[in-house]
Amino acid sequence: MNEAAWLTIAFVLMLLAMSWFALSLKSHWKQVTDGKPASRILRSLGWFCVMLSGLACLQADHASMAVLVWAMLSATAAFIVGQVLSYRPTLLRPLALFRA
Amino acid sequence: MQFNSTRQGMAWLHTWLGLILGFVLMVCFFFGALSVFDREIDRWAIPETRFDPQPMPSFDNLLMGVFERIEPDEAEYNRMMPKYHDASAGEMTPRLELPADEYWAYTTHRDPVLRMGAGFRVPFPADTEGHNHIHGNTTIDPRTGASVPDHHLKIGSEWFYPLHYSLNINWNFLGFFIVGIAGFFMLVALISGVWIHRKIFRELFTFRRHKSKQRSILDMHNMTGVVALPFHFFFAFTGLIIFVAFYYMPVTNTMLEPLHSAQQEIEAQEMGLPHERAGIAAPMASVDAMVAEAKRRWAARDMAGEVGFLQMHHVGDRNAYVSIYRAGSDRVALVGEGIHFNGVTGEVLREDPPHSLAESIGDFLAGLHLQHFEHWFLRWLYVIGGLLGCACIATGFMFFVEKRKQQHAKAGSQGSRVVDAFAVTTVTGMVIAAIAMLIANRFIPAATEGKGEIEKIVFWSVWALSFLHAAWRSAPVALAKSNPAWKEQTMLIALLGVVAVIANWISTGDHLIKTIFTDPYWAVAGVDLSLLAGSLIALLTVKKMSAMNETQSKQEAGQEEIATGETAYE
Repeated sequence: MNEAAWLTIAFVLMLLAMSWFALSLKSHWKQVTDGKPASRILRSLGWFCVMLSGLACLQADHASMAVLVWAMLSATAAFIVGQVLSYRPTLLRPLALFRA
Repeated sequence: MQFNSTRQGMAWLHTWLGLILGFVLMVCFFFGALSVFDREIDRWAIPETRFDPQPMPSFDNLLMGVFERIEPDEAEYNRMMPKYHDASAGEMTPRLELPADEYWAYTTHRDPVLRMGAGFRVPFPADTEGHNHIHGNTTIDPRTGASVPDHHLKIGSEWFYPLHYSLNINWNFLGFFIVGIAGFFMLVALISGVWIHRKIFRELFTFRRHKSKQRSILDMHNMTGVVALPFHFFFAFTGLIIFVAFYYMPVTNTMLEPLHSAQQEIEAQEMGLPHERAGIAAPMASVDAMVAEAKRRWAARDMAGEVGFLQMHHVGDRNAYVSIYRAGSDRVALVGEGIHFNGVTGEVLREDPPHSLAESIGDFLAGLHLQHFEHWFLRWLYVIGGLLGCACIATGFMFFVEKRKQQHAKAGSQGSRVVDAFAVTTVTGMVIAAIAMLIANRFIPAATEGKGEIEKIVFWSVWALSFLHAAWRSAPVALAKSNPAWKEQTMLIALLGVVAVIANWISTGDHLIKTIFTDPYWAVAGVDLSLLAGSLIALLTVKKMSAMNETQSKQEAGQEEIATGETAYE
């Protein structure tokens, strides 16, 4: 698979990770759906995706470059998820799995 | 100063350091973000150079002829020659008769044009140990060897880029030191900012834009600061690292000059590279053959690559040597894997050994900031990081004003009014100045003598005007209302962005349909698209500000009604 594909996968995984981190917080879960989040599961899922995203970065680039892409992706993805929660929180509803 | 808690002390530190140095940091972040694409902005500003990046051309067939044409810079000659020349030893050599001692050429994977320079020896030096040179630089089209006119300013790499680390204030390196201080206190502001932020993880994704203006601004400040915290930290930190010797140990050319020279000599001896000229003329061997050998050796080390930097020392002398460095486009660390050749025989004198762990960490840290690598996606992520930094600083200013303007209005203080006017100037004024410079670049005919100088004047004047405008319109802030200059200048950004794109189209014929579809040239298309994106964001912001002002005036009208109602009761 080529570099662009791996980077796209890394970005999507990071967006998923940040979404689940956000959903693990009660206040954001409430913006998206009712009930309470299973915080621990969602957070673990988030970390799992962060790791996978890092692996995808390593597939695309030399390790030293991959680290930078990974860190910058996390910043970009966190900002995007923050904006989605403010403007269109319901977009995250499909990810609101694992109710407590 | 007495504080009840550490947090209160940290808040004080964050507020005041942030306010004072924020104005400088805003320049660093914004023009730093533009510098990610400095070469591309150069292409936009100098249409003659809109062609594809080229590898280093043949030295023997092309570069040598160009080097021989380079003349010592007249201004530098007039300024420095009397200092370097020993009048008791003989007549001062006329400028055009100075003998060349050193040649260099530098290119990257993003450069269609090639930068070259020569260092000229002073025949009767006042300081025989000093190896002082009078320099001459040129930029050529590497396909033909033709010079790119000197009066064309490379707005990206020679204006925006140095602006972000020197503010282009070169007098006694004042700008460098101001940026150095700001960079250091940026680290302090980050640490104190994290300290005073109560819910750094719980509110990482929180932007309550429907709450009060003050609340939503603070949310945005926190979010843009925290999500990109590693970026903010590492860019301030590596920026300091790059200049560390200059900021903190600026003594190698003053107090420690003798030690510094001795060290250089020992290093040269250890490396086996001649430190001095032999004084005996000799013909130069083929440099192309040396380049071929260097490439072969890199390939054998499993790091095949192009030449990025090439330097010939002691030109035309028996002790001449040529240093060839690899372009570091495939990795973060700036290394170069230099290979040095005897200039007369063409033999390899030395291969730079692999760097130690400490050196490698330094190479990586400097490399991640200077980004010589070829990675377009990461470049854009860096731009996003830089703009998040700008948003963080801008919202910091706004929060400062929002928090205090009611109090100041009651007390009759002008404090928040002044801060607000400076904030307008640094946030919107800076963007206007940058775009105005680009527009001026497209309107001033290419043949105009001193074109680059006029562009610089446009940049500073427009920025000064934006301050006058912001100050003139600032009166409402002292009454706890908002400065209409915010909206007016944002509107101007929206307009100027479009004007710049149209000016590029009219003056060069390069419109977006051509640069994206029919004859793709992404450097120019990218600058045009970014200008249009800037316009769009500005337009949306204006709309938002109008909506906010409306609700605010409705609320105020409502309050007045209540107030009049109350007086009617009385």
